[in-house]
Amino acid sequence: MEEFNIVLAGVGGQGILLAGEVLGTAGMKEGLNVVAGEIHGLAQRGGSVVSTIRIGDRVLAPTILDGQADVILGFEPLETLRSLKYASGKTCVIVNDEKIPPPELSSKNLPYPSISDITKKIHRFTKRVIVVEAASMAKKAGSSLTQNMVLVGALAATGKLPIKKESIIKALGELIPKRHLEMNTKAFDLGYTYVEKLIQHALNF
Amino acid sequence: MSNLHALLKDNLGERVLLLGNEAIARGILEAGIGVVTTYPGTPASEIGDSISEIANEAGLYMEYSINEIVAVEVAGGAANCGVRALSAMKHVGLNVASDFVMTLAYAGVRGGYVIVTADDPECHSSQNEQDNRLFALLSNLPCLEPSNPQEAKDMTISAITISEKLELPVLLRTTTRVSHTRQPVVYGRLTKPKLKGELIKDVKRLVMAPANSRPNHDLLLKKVEEAKEISETSPYNKVVHEGKARTLGLISSGSAYNYAIEAADLLGLDARILKLGMIHPLPEKMIGEFLKKHKKIVVVEELEPYLEMQIKAIAKDCAPSVEIYGKMNKPYFARTGELSVRAVLIGLAAIMDRKLPIDFKKIDAEYAEAIRGLLPRPPVLCAGCPHRASFYVIKRIGGEKVIYPTDIGCYALGFAPPLKVGDVMICMGASIGTAQGIRKATNADVVAIIGDSTFFHAGVPGLINAVYNNHKVVLAVLDNLATAMTGHQPHPGTGLTGMQTRSERILIEKVAEGCGVKYAKVVDPFKVKEAEAVLKEALQHEGPSVVVFRAPCALMVVRERRRRGLRLAPYRVTDKCTNCMACIKLLGCPALMVTEGKVSINEALCAACGLCASVCPYGAIESAE
Repeated sequence: MEEFNIVLAGVGGQGILLAGEVLGTAGMKEGLNVVAGEIHGLAQRGGSVVSTIRIGDRVLAPTILDGQADVILGFEPLETLRSLKYASGKTCVIVNDEKIPPPELSSKNLPYPSISDITKKIHRFTKRVIVVEAASMAKKAGSSLTQNMVLVGALAATGKLPIKKESIIKALGELIPKRHLEMNTKAFDLGYTYVEKLIQHALNF
Repeated sequence: MSNLHALLKDNLGERVLLLGNEAIARGILEAGIGVVTTYPGTPASEIGDSISEIANEAGLYMEYSINEIVAVEVAGGAANCGVRALSAMKHVGLNVASDFVMTLAYAGVRGGYVIVTADDPECHSSQNEQDNRLFALLSNLPCLEPSNPQEAKDMTISAITISEKLELPVLLRTTTRVSHTRQPVVYGRLTKPKLKGELIKDVKRLVMAPANSRPNHDLLLKKVEEAKEISETSPYNKVVHEGKARTLGLISSGSAYNYAIEAADLLGLDARILKLGMIHPLPEKMIGEFLKKHKKIVVVEELEPYLEMQIKAIAKDCAPSVEIYGKMNKPYFARTGELSVRAVLIGLAAIMDRKLPIDFKKIDAEYAEAIRGLLPRPPVLCAGCPHRASFYVIKRIGGEKVIYPTDIGCYALGFAPPLKVGDVMICMGASIGTAQGIRKATNADVVAIIGDSTFFHAGVPGLINAVYNNHKVVLAVLDNLATAMTGHQPHPGTGLTGMQTRSERILIEKVAEGCGVKYAKVVDPFKVKEAEAVLKEALQHEGPSVVVFRAPCALMVVRERRRRGLRLAPYRVTDKCTNCMACIKLLGCPALMVTEGKVSINEALCAACGLCASVCPYGAIESAE
């Protein structure tokens, strides 16, 4: 298959590594060549975090070339902006509207930009933007910690992924501890259903 | 992988998605390695952590050694008895271990012994980006370098084979982009580890006194010649991409190889590619033949021109007219930071005079516009981190005048505003040593900052030096009861071992007293007033003093409460708040935010440590309970 590139961008502590592992495991289950890049250690302590997943027979490097993302899964609005160097007209951007202000913003008492300003900036790169209220859906699922799975669900529903929904559900079952599985599956479903409905109304996605 | 026990499945041929470091752990199991030692450090940590989880079941011995040199001594000692062993460390860890390793190369080993050095180009989580391939040249040890997790596993096993054939330790060099890349890995057969061996007494071989070292140095160089033969026929050194035109040849290894292939593809270059996996000693004949067949050679490698220097030396003898491009004469590729497909594309396009297939200038301009004014988000101390409380206390007492040498760990982040505690930071354990020189040179009050794990790793000799030479410095040990930054590994102060058994805790204050420190006290950093009083006293003490700020890492506290199903009662801001911003300006806690001009506490992030409540001048922050 042609290569397919996924960028996961957010703040350390948001469960980005686990979301990446779920997608990677699902892809592998379908016999695809998956190469995923992660950053561990100091960078995880509340800093900007980017994980990458690349799928395709000829893929070797874990990192993604500028402008070559097929999907950007933004866990936080400003971090989504920061990941736009991977975006181009073909990129589908899913952005969580849950704001986590960078520390300097609070200490300088500066306002956090509005979501509409942020989507306007993303629109300069691509028209395919979906805003997901992952925090409220995660709370509905049982814990705000499941925002990562809401977003994975949203991504799965776009129909862009070369990975089937069933494979992702299977990967969840393998990677999430039993006592948290139901909550995470619910979060996935909420994200999935939301985007599925949204896309039915959008002609040109 | 969340269930590391899957590493133990004896399923030949199964494909499993593994992190590079997990693949090395699987290689340990397939190679029948009996002793694994490590000191945690990014990007090497998951090798030891994976093995620690399963060591009992796998029937091998694993330990988190106190530091890297003890790790190689323990493993090297076992290997001298014929037991297969492996030590894993980050690149700078090999600096610590190198005193032993350089001379172990003379003595050799009988059981296969692999030393993993995980390098960190781009300093993702490190204080430098040194290129440890140069350690292979310096030590004369063979070195393998994987490009992906599958090779990382396979090379772990091959390294053991080579090590036993040559009776030499073998280096396995990875980088962040191999250690932290996840990719499907095909399992081989497991080998039952052999744990017991025998020390065959042989003074000439094992006691490196000068009379024995000299002949052993000759022997080492003979082994290098043998290793060259292995390198010439190694399956890891091969031409992987047959071009037709025979004008352009690329030579690459490790992570750089992945970028080189993708970049050559994107440029549509008709190039032959020589991939090197055994990078020391190099297959000189194979490289010589490759050079002779091409007009132009491009060496694509990360960091130092390690391959290029040697390839140029080979060319001088066997292909003097070949043009060699890389980073030495004209820098087509940078000698700093990580490479990328983009960096290699730009370098290759310049060398081959091709047009770039992607308009990077346009992307850069659009991107610069999109992120204009976007504030950076550097890593910060977590909400509830006890180090924040310690730094708050230290700053209140020491102010701006005191000099604060600091050390390697999460607490290194204390240098950033608003806490700003951290004036010098170089390497593990250096805080206490540099403190003494600074005191001598300036007579200023000096408070050295060190973590618990770092204290055990390299702080103790410096502390004894301070006592014996009577340097009046304060050592603040920020003890959060774990090697926190790398994933909460145990250390001698925790009472846990790598085999997941209990051991008697070694208390830092007792160590300090044993070293001769006359003033050594323990405080709870969240009891701000008490901690302040103790630190004040310590600063007035004649001679060196130690204050242990002890409170568990907030991440461990939060996880433990969640595991027990206990709710955290977050703090909240009441209407007594005057928006004076003291909490935000003094603490920089990520849970403290300003929303619509008012201070608030993010419930999801608050770890309920209560530090903000104790600094609020108006008593406007209280527990929600």
